Amino acid sequence: MAAYLSMGEAHRRIGDYLSRVVDAISSSDGAALASLIAVSSAPGSTSLSDALATFPDFPRLAGDRIPHLADLLVPLLRAIHSHSLQRFADAYSSFEKAASAFLQEFRSWETPWAMEAMHTVAFEIRLLAEKADRELATTGKNPDKLQAAGSFLMKVFGALAVKGPKRIGALYVTCQLFKIYFRLGTVNLCRSVIRSIETARNFDFEDFPVKDKVTYMYYTGRLEVFNENFLVADQKLTYALMHCNPQSESNLRRILKFLIPVKLSIGVLPKRTLLETYNLLEFDKHVCVVLSGAIVTHLGRYTMLLIEICARGNMTFQYADVVTSLKRGDLRLLRQALDRHEDQFLKSGVYLVLEKLELQVYQRLVKKIHIIQRQKEPAKAHQIKLDVVVKALKWLEIDMDLDEVECIMACLIYKNLIKGYFAHKSKVLVLSKQDPFPKLNGKPV
Amino acid sequence: MAEPAKPEVTEEAKMDLLEDDDEFEEFEIDQEWDDKEEGKEALQQWEDDWDDDDVNDDFSLQLREELESNASKN
Repeated sequence: MAAYLSMGEAHRRIGDYLSRVVDAISSSDGAALASLIAVSSAPGSTSLSDALATFPDFPRLAGDRIPHLADLLVPLLRAIHSHSLQRFADAYSSFEKAASAFLQEFRSWETPWAMEAMHTVAFEIRLLAEKADRELATTGKNPDKLQAAGSFLMKVFGALAVKGPKRIGALYVTCQLFKIYFRLGTVNLCRSVIRSIETARNFDFEDFPVKDKVTYMYYTGRLEVFNENFLVADQKLTYALMHCNPQSESNLRRILKFLIPVKLSIGVLPKRTLLETYNLLEFDKHVCVVLSGAIVTHLGRYTMLLIEICARGNMTFQYADVVTSLKRGDLRLLRQALDRHEDQFLKSGVYLVLEKLELQVYQRLVKKIHIIQRQKEPAKAHQIKLDVVVKALKWLEIDMDLDEVECIMACLIYKNLIKGYFAHKSKVLVLSKQDPFPKLNGKPV
Repeated sequence: MAEPAKPEVTEEAKMDLLEDDDEFEEFEIDQEWDDKEEGKEALQQWEDDWDDDDVNDDFSLQLREELESNASKN
């Protein structure tokens, strides 16, 4: 759609761009430099791209005009040009060269004035690598650019994670690395950067910018979920939830997606009021509108926001049944909920966490049987016949024989979800008279 | 030069398809917020004392009925 561009005009535009970069560097204007090197979103990049298309000899122009920055500017212009032609693999290769030259300059600058530009490079290289890999994959070539971007960002991390004023920018790069490693499925590579961030004696974690701390806690919290360290996962994800921008609904939703299963696994449920409200939201939006006015006075603004987010992200759908199954002791409902959302739960890596809730649901069911018996026949309430459990399970459409149920009861006793012993001959579970169903109280099973 | 507009659209669509929904969205570089005020409430959204002895909900009533009907058959 570009209008006809004369050679002279193209020459002028390229020259203008080059002098703006040089000016930004000589006046230490980090924000201006950042916007000039943002290949995928640079303001006015269309008019620059048109000029580059019209004037193919632009590398020589840049090299002649500004020889001391040629290593940076020549590949940068090539990257902008290839990107505008949607040749992303080429754009990536050029941008990586420009990024290396920029990193070299950045190392030589004593103050962190160019941090914003360094971060833009880190962000852009990841985005470009993703586009390049998609292009390579569709043309049957090896998509290895994102991995290469990861190696480059490790060098950037090395330049920042040092003593001194540049360190404050290290957490942003760490978060870009996390995004790459999670995307590539190489999350074990996160370990060395985490160690470097968390063992630093001369830099307090709290001094990093809040947006980077929140992102960092989200990803390290997810890693702890994978490693089944639910207590640490709870701390990290709760930190992310507490400090996240309340306007950023999609990110709050992502945090809750992992925090809710973690909380469930340590025996903590989202509040009843919260849950009831999501159900209403699910059933009838009008009821919700009427109710929200009334509820907001009790729950406060933040709670309402969380309710809205959960409802919009279909979290209700995903987790409400799981929560109900825990409260009821309803194994059938738990299994149905897991089956229904299996693909999504597996993809996010929370399936195993949720599957382990089964033991808590068994505990709840046995407790209910115990309470019902106690109301009818208090003297015998602490003896639970196994065939009663078999019947309850059959009612829930779960076919198990006595041996299988015995095995599960043994497991509940072993995991300290039930206190008591098992009379094997008479097939009776004998409950302790004191606290037969210990609560988890925030500890994992 | 009208051509390039088209591939751009398909490229965007493809990117959406491959979007990793669990990837944390970037905060704007200059985005700031007061994380001291709002965050406190996030701690109050949970209960660890939900495991009560109430057996009057529908599920428990049905369970009771089931257990009693079976008991009478024995």
